[in-house]
Amino acid sequence: MSTIQTNNAVPDKSGKPVLRLDRICLKFGDKRVLNGIDLSVVEGEVVVLIGASGSGKTSLLRCINLLNVPSSGSIVIDEETLFDRQVDGKGAQIPVPEVNRIRSKTGMVFQQFNLFPHMTALENVMEGPVIVKREPKEQARQKALQLLDLMGLAQHVEKYPRQLSGGQQQRVAIARAMAMQPKVMLFDEPTSALDPELVGEVMKAMVELAKSGMTMVIVTHELGFAFEVADRVVFLDQGLVAEQGPPARILLHPEHPRLKTFVGRFHESADLLRPFLEAREAGKTC
Amino acid sequence: MFDYTVITNNIGLLWQGLLMTLYFTVITIGAGMLIGLFIGLIQLSTFKPLVILGQIYVEFFRNIPLLVTLLWVYYAFPIFAGINVTKFWAGFIGLSCYVGSFYAEILRAGVQSVDPGQIDAATAIGMSYGQRMRRIILPQAFRKMIPPLAGQSIIQMKNTTLLSMITVPDLLYQASYISSFTYRPMEVYTAVGVIFLIILVPLTLLSRKLEKSGASAR
Repeated sequence: MSTIQTNNAVPDKSGKPVLRLDRICLKFGDKRVLNGIDLSVVEGEVVVLIGASGSGKTSLLRCINLLNVPSSGSIVIDEETLFDRQVDGKGAQIPVPEVNRIRSKTGMVFQQFNLFPHMTALENVMEGPVIVKREPKEQARQKALQLLDLMGLAQHVEKYPRQLSGGQQQRVAIARAMAMQPKVMLFDEPTSALDPELVGEVMKAMVELAKSGMTMVIVTHELGFAFEVADRVVFLDQGLVAEQGPPARILLHPEHPRLKTFVGRFHESADLLRPFLEAREAGKTC
Repeated sequence: MFDYTVITNNIGLLWQGLLMTLYFTVITIGAGMLIGLFIGLIQLSTFKPLVILGQIYVEFFRNIPLLVTLLWVYYAFPIFAGINVTKFWAGFIGLSCYVGSFYAEILRAGVQSVDPGQIDAATAIGMSYGQRMRRIILPQAFRKMIPPLAGQSIIQMKNTTLLSMITVPDLLYQASYISSFTYRPMEVYTAVGVIFLIILVPLTLLSRKLEKSGASAR
């Protein structure tokens, strides 16, 4: 709960790094997906990863908690080394139980929610604390109820995932990840699988998290959200960080030619809509 | 045409045979499940040699006719191993190993049919391999495994009739014994068929019902 209770405090964004990736390379068979990515995220920072499909943003996110195991590079989370392998294969061997422990300092939210279908919303949220952290059931229950309440799901705690809408499921998923009291939250296109009218409620929950000072790394196509919430936008291209900086600069004054095209496409679609919006404002719609 | 007195006069023998059949069905399904769990998990491990070992086991017992396995365990195995194997042990070992190979495949297929996103989610909250299996994967896989498990177990009960070939006094053995002195095989084997129907049809219906409730629990 500590992460939530700092609600109105202004996050200190020059703090210590929570996450440090060094020269991350990732191969799927012969295909090179990531080609040496450096990324450091400080406490309370909200980083949004953007890029065309196939640029490696989801792969990078999945490397952070070793759902994808990099071919080389190093990962440090909260000053503990999760992964370390040099290009020549040397490096620190982290024992599996240690990996599991350090990994649980990250919380992940998936595009397809991936809630456990055989458990209620409440059980989904309690699962990590009870099974992994071995917290007493009653304590975990109280904490889970509080988190679900924060996500606006107080009336749905006893429901199974299939009884919930996509937006509700995704908010349960956020609560489930938060229940492990992570140092950093990872979001993998959390609104891409949602019906348009449900996107807002999930984004609102994420904005609340960001305001509470949670460190977040988010892969998303919602550039408007990136513009509003991100402290830093990172543009990936061909498995490399092509450009990064504050959202206003990246999204409004891109320099990298590919980023220009990428952002341009979004501006184009906005331009296409403009006449309709203006017409409606002028009251000329039928 | 049918002489029912053949059945009623020898009901005691048929009863003994039925008990033997049920006994072997239950114990070989039980042992087969343990073997299947073990071999299935071996096949699901990430250690290649273990996976191959599991595959060899499955293909070996799945592709040799059960009758050959039973005869081999009873007649040939004692000679090679230099030990005495009773017909009960031979029947138990042969039938259990055979059904175990099918159960292993059902378990493997069931686990592999669980959405990989479930493994991602369980891993992401820091679960170990054992915790993922026990808490997340197997509970979901078992629901999908109910229909094929029930089907294989029903086949197993029918397969126990092969025990008569190694002179275990099961239902079929008793039937052939009765017909050998009554000369009325038609009545006797019909009775055996009816007994299997009476036992297995309700079980089939039950497994259908379980399948439905398993589907709605998802």
